[in-house]
Amino acid sequence: MQPAELVDYAKTLDCIHCGLCLRTCPTYRLTGAEPSSPRGRIYLMRAVAEGQLEASDATYRGELDFCLACRHCESVCPAGVRFGEMIESARAGLSAVQHRPVLARLARWFGFELVLRSRWWLSASASAMRFAQRTGMARLLGRWGEALLAMPLVPPRSERAPLAATHGARAPRRGSVAMLEGCAMRELYGRVNRATVQVLTGIGFDTHVPAEHVCCGALHAHNGELDAARDLARATIAAFEAFGDDAIVTNSAGCGAHMKGYGQLLRDDARWRERAQRFSRRVVDFSEFVAAHAPTAFSTGAVRELGTLTYDDPCHLCHGQQVRAQPRTLLELAGARRVELADAEACCGSAGIYSLLRPADSRAVFEGKLAAFEASGADVLVTANPGCHMQWESGFKRAGSRARVLHLAEVLACALDAPAARRDG
Amino acid sequence: MRAEVVHELREILGRAGLISEPGRLLTYECDGLALLHERPELVLLPRTTDECARALRVLHREKIAVVGRGAGTGLSGGATPVKGGVVLGTARMRDVLEINAVDRYARVQAGLVNVDLTLAVEELGLFYAPDPSSQHACTLGGNAAENSGGPHCFKHGSTTRHVLGLVIVRDDGSVLDLSRPAVDPVGYDLVGLFVGSEGMFGIATEITVKLTPTPAVTETLLAIFTDLDAACDSVSDAIAARLEPSALEILDKLTIEAVEASVFAAGYPKQAEAVLLIEVEGAEAEVEMTLAELSRIVKQRGAIDVRRARSAAERKKLWAGRKGAFGAMGRIAPDLYVADVVVPRTKLRELVAATTRIAREKRLKLANVFHAGDGNLHPNISYDRRDADEVARVLRAGEEIMRVVVAAGGSLSGEHGIGIEKQAAMSLVFGDDDLRAMCRVRDAWDPEHRMNPGKLIPVHVCREMRNAERPR
Repeated sequence: MQPAELVDYAKTLDCIHCGLCLRTCPTYRLTGAEPSSPRGRIYLMRAVAEGQLEASDATYRGELDFCLACRHCESVCPAGVRFGEMIESARAGLSAVQHRPVLARLARWFGFELVLRSRWWLSASASAMRFAQRTGMARLLGRWGEALLAMPLVPPRSERAPLAATHGARAPRRGSVAMLEGCAMRELYGRVNRATVQVLTGIGFDTHVPAEHVCCGALHAHNGELDAARDLARATIAAFEAFGDDAIVTNSAGCGAHMKGYGQLLRDDARWRERAQRFSRRVVDFSEFVAAHAPTAFSTGAVRELGTLTYDDPCHLCHGQQVRAQPRTLLELAGARRVELADAEACCGSAGIYSLLRPADSRAVFEGKLAAFEASGADVLVTANPGCHMQWESGFKRAGSRARVLHLAEVLACALDAPAARRDG
Repeated sequence: MRAEVVHELREILGRAGLISEPGRLLTYECDGLALLHERPELVLLPRTTDECARALRVLHREKIAVVGRGAGTGLSGGATPVKGGVVLGTARMRDVLEINAVDRYARVQAGLVNVDLTLAVEELGLFYAPDPSSQHACTLGGNAAENSGGPHCFKHGSTTRHVLGLVIVRDDGSVLDLSRPAVDPVGYDLVGLFVGSEGMFGIATEITVKLTPTPAVTETLLAIFTDLDAACDSVSDAIAARLEPSALEILDKLTIEAVEASVFAAGYPKQAEAVLLIEVEGAEAEVEMTLAELSRIVKQRGAIDVRRARSAAERKKLWAGRKGAFGAMGRIAPDLYVADVVVPRTKLRELVAATTRIAREKRLKLANVFHAGDGNLHPNISYDRRDADEVARVLRAGEEIMRVVVAAGGSLSGEHGIGIEKQAAMSLVFGDDDLRAMCRVRDAWDPEHRMNPGKLIPVHVCREMRNAERPR
């Protein structure tokens, strides 16, 4: 492979080295080190492409692995550098030239090729995780096990059941939508999926869930497994084409940002390019869709009972999709007592599987977020992405905090059908 | 570099405070001036004055050259490493040490990002006035070293007017504490001398700066022109009318196009040939009077529309567009050369035209975005560093612009410093006697010329001084 093919060389040339990205970058904030900044990483990618630096250089991989791919830098880049896409292709280039240790390769194969490709494996691993958590056997797994124990408890199988294929509108019918059930969302936060259906049907939309769809491939892409990501993208497109031009609603910011980029991901695939673009145009985040079709009145009393809420922007919603106002507007509409969270657009350190791969860095990034939450005086943290949800739950647990985490959909479900989101124990 | 020295420095700074891997060092080979690069031997990132001093003592003993660096956003090559030298960065020294709202000063570590100071004090009704376009990235230490400006320095003055005190680590690792915030310095004004010394007198580790009360009223106007000359002339008129807005900024068509395509799109009309961004602050009656007068002037000069920002959010957006202009030029070509000349404000129109002509002759793409109120032009030349011929033409254009401006009574640098970029051109404005005087001051601070060597003072003067000192 030519050096210039190991990274997206053309995109590295967009960077003019102005440095406006530095202060927003979580890893630069932690270290103060230029190579751990977006500008520095782009400099390294360019050096690889131009043959100044070997792609097999350990520090190159170190800096790429250290990045959380939160894309905060994109929101402040005047030159319009698309860092998210760049880090994905650089990571893909890296897997082409570097050999990871056998165990790491095995773990990646297991995760990306087995678990995230089959409902059966997904569900089986969730059961295994729950078993390891409950029996304490996770301790035997070393570093991985510790990360597992730090996670919120995987819910019982009954809560992880797949959604029914069709849910009829519960209010005067206004149309129909297709919903992404997701992989992590189904296994870890089935209640969020059920709340999402409740809200969509509650505002008058028939909601369809494609049976047997597994994963959109976002985690694969973020980790440089671009071929697998393309496979899953094609499968996802095909699964959702059954629902005509209905909007594709997702309650997971990471999946939404990724699926909106399918057109880009499959740009070199002549047979799929147009289908991908058509698909991407249909994708909306849950908050975008509901804000555009919100009922005139929520029953606001129940949401007040939840306490004071604060909303933390998931990176792939605010930086990846430029969605910032809608979740806040909806919380206001639902009658929430809401305070702003300082630095809400900063990454919480979850970053997909980053929190499992690099628990220490992930926690270091989270520390600032926790301090901001405590200073806000809120009782409830509202998010819109399963990774962030998990990060905040484990963070609160570790800190011994009584604060709870809710997905925006859960808050809105509570506003529509009062008892749904009450504290359950 | 000898392994024992690296080891000794790592002992002082810790693992995270020292970068030695060749791959990671690459990212330090240039600052905002990507045209020039040199890989440093090491990068040191101390956390405190004490760590910095101990590291400099080692470097002094080993006779190793030191280049200071804040965020590496400078545009004159002030932080370009030197061969065989180390880079000493302040990026891990970013604490606010003290805020005194009554006496209106703050004491901070030198690596604090400019805007973070304003964010830390705005609830107290105060702000830090110098606002370089890179204020969301650049550090106060770098600002002090380069005596940085910014749009609002038209009214408030550049960095040197705001630095009250410094803690400086000198070339031999000794610490000079000049941090008592005195409004009127007693004896030699060493703080004043240090500001703008471009890293050649030592490394500032702590800075005490003046805080300015937030004005009661701030209003922003955007005047739209179909002609760049008319925009320049209206600024000359405003200055002649003795008006004192806090900022007067002009953006030309190419800049507007780049900004409007970026995340900082501010709503500058794309069909305009130029926009003039005006800010006025103060008490309400005074602000309204100045605004009325300025509106009259711009309309007289042919502005087709004058818009007033209706909210703080809109004002912020107008400014974000201006401040993102440099980066936004990345859409036009991979690299950008930003010149920084200052011209007499009565000659704005002709000298802006001259820069355009020079670029055209050299087949280069030039955009103009500048602090018109100060006469501080930033002719921005887009280029691709992989094209050697184009790079040579850019350098020649930069030099020619400086010649033309100096001949018309202007100066080399408004705010970016001399660095390497304008080093040779120093002889255009200073005679050898002047330069020798500067050199003697530098000798007093850094007798071995190890601090940011090879910058600012033209090479022939340094060499001459060296030869004169050498016993025959």
